[in-house]
Amino acid sequence: MMSFLDAQDIITARRTYNEGLTQQVDSRRAAWFPLVLLATLLALPALQFVGNYNYVIHLILYTACYVVMAAGWNILGGFAGYVSLGHNVFFAIGGYFAGMILARYGISTIAMAPLAGLVAGIAGYLIGLITLRVRGPSFIISSLALVMIFRILFENWHFIGGAAGVALPANELSVKWTKLPYYYAFIIMAAFALWVTYRIRHSKFGLGLRAISKDEIKAESAGIDTRFYKVLAFAISAFFVGMAGAVWGEYLTYIRPNIFLVILVSVNMVLMCIIGGKGTIAGPVVGAVLIIAFNEVFVATLGASEINVLATGLVMMLTLIFFPLGVVGTLAKHNRLPRILNWD
Amino acid sequence: MIIDIIQILALGISLGGVYALMGSGLSLVFGVMRIVNLAHPAMIMGGAYVAYWAFRLAGADPIAMLPVAVLILAATGLVLYKLVFEREAQSARYSEMTVLLTFALAMVVEGLLGAMFTNTQRITSPEYATDAYFVGDVFVPKGQLFAAVTSVAIISALALFLKYSRFGNAIRATTQNREAAQLLGVNVNHVCLVSFAIGVGLAGAAGALVSFVFSFFPSKHWEWIVILMSLVVLGGMGSVLGTVLAAFILATASVFVGFYFGATWSTLTFFVALFVVLLVRPQGIFGEKPELA
Repeated sequence: MMSFLDAQDIITARRTYNEGLTQQVDSRRAAWFPLVLLATLLALPALQFVGNYNYVIHLILYTACYVVMAAGWNILGGFAGYVSLGHNVFFAIGGYFAGMILARYGISTIAMAPLAGLVAGIAGYLIGLITLRVRGPSFIISSLALVMIFRILFENWHFIGGAAGVALPANELSVKWTKLPYYYAFIIMAAFALWVTYRIRHSKFGLGLRAISKDEIKAESAGIDTRFYKVLAFAISAFFVGMAGAVWGEYLTYIRPNIFLVILVSVNMVLMCIIGGKGTIAGPVVGAVLIIAFNEVFVATLGASEINVLATGLVMMLTLIFFPLGVVGTLAKHNRLPRILNWD
Repeated sequence: MIIDIIQILALGISLGGVYALMGSGLSLVFGVMRIVNLAHPAMIMGGAYVAYWAFRLAGADPIAMLPVAVLILAATGLVLYKLVFEREAQSARYSEMTVLLTFALAMVVEGLLGAMFTNTQRITSPEYATDAYFVGDVFVPKGQLFAAVTSVAIISALALFLKYSRFGNAIRATTQNREAAQLLGVNVNHVCLVSFAIGVGLAGAAGALVSFVFSFFPSKHWEWIVILMSLVVLGGMGSVLGTVLAAFILATASVFVGFYFGATWSTLTFFVALFVVLLVRPQGIFGEKPELA
């Protein structure tokens, strides 16, 4: 009886100790802001009653889609420090899985999104088992190779339409309301992704990932199962990217390798996290808003996609050289982070 | 059957010669500076455009234009090193940071080339590019053969320079142990500057040769990145000799795959090889360190 109590005591002590390890919540932060933002975004489509705001809806939807992906990427790239340039592979896996089910059985991709995410997550787990054996530059290179391999496979797999892709049926809502299901799906997924990254950041798992990013050998010798942690982080990040891909395919009404498996998609994910601030919760949101706004301006004024590639590259170089910590990270370092952006 | 194998070997070795030059600059830069220069293939693209315009406007032979491409690209390399990489040397996450930086640089180069020359497929077509030698039933395309011979000559010159010249010794010393080289009085920053310029210059040389071997367009360099990386990883990161050997092995393997399974799958050889090498022997053939972080 006595020993049983002792064991309980040890477990309780262990639990309080673990909770002490997780990062303390900053009491000064404005926790209401993300909630107000979410509520505003959810109420926004009411504008459609007074006028046609389809473009605004599209932009927010597009941003939310990238927030889901960037937040997912952040789990691996930001917390664990494994920079992957090949995460659009999971975007494609999710998009094709849900898209093919929509094309064959007519089940909406929004309903299938969690399952598509799961499929992408499992793929991520298996791929992670291989590619996470190396780190640093080798990992980045292997992630690039992954994109090339999947591009060739997808373009030559006739069941999924090869290079021409598959056209998906559009929903039957009128022009004014047709975007709304996807809008809500992306907003909810983005909120979910951010909530999950928040929970991870404040868990023992998140602490382990941060330890891995600082010094993997020390993390290993401190008793962290680094291999399992990394692969799990890879799978979770693939899950979110896959979920975003599932709905994105139906929103565009077609799936094709050169929508999903282009390098610009994965670069955008990485760039958003870097510009916003790797490893912070608000980083992907800030980055996504900045990059999408920037893209819109460039496409509107200069058009050509080559200029877009050039500009994206330039922005990335300048950010890396002058603000490697990103907007949120740099502001936090100088204690200038506005309370509304402190989501950590 | 035996004729097929000889044919595959002939094609593979001449193709391997081209890849060897494309990868050697990348390997040199990684060895000396620990920079994985993802912009290297984009630089090759730059060299290819130099040769292309010289051929198109003045009818200049691409092989004769090779020194010009080398000079232009090497100068670009000097400027880039001074502007971008010198200041990054102090960065804490140097190697990871430079991968992202060169990745961004590759996009900049791709965007510039695309904006200037459009994404149309280009190729220079000197007479030998479409001709071939026949030895019995085996044919060797002249273009690839000339490119391979030129590339082997350049790589041999590079190897002699690294082995016997004083500066080459300084480069090799820096590759082996940066701190020790510095202690012995090697100006490491200068060595890095020159090797980066040499590396980018080699990209220019490779570009001039590639211009009549493959058709090219600015965004094709993504495919080359992974091909070249597979060579560098298989050869052991930083070992120029390993890269050259890997180029011959993988090029022959890809011709073999292309011959029996169709051209679509021949590039897949490189990508799959990259994965298998990372899985089985991450340090490659000649690599020493088990970890590349």
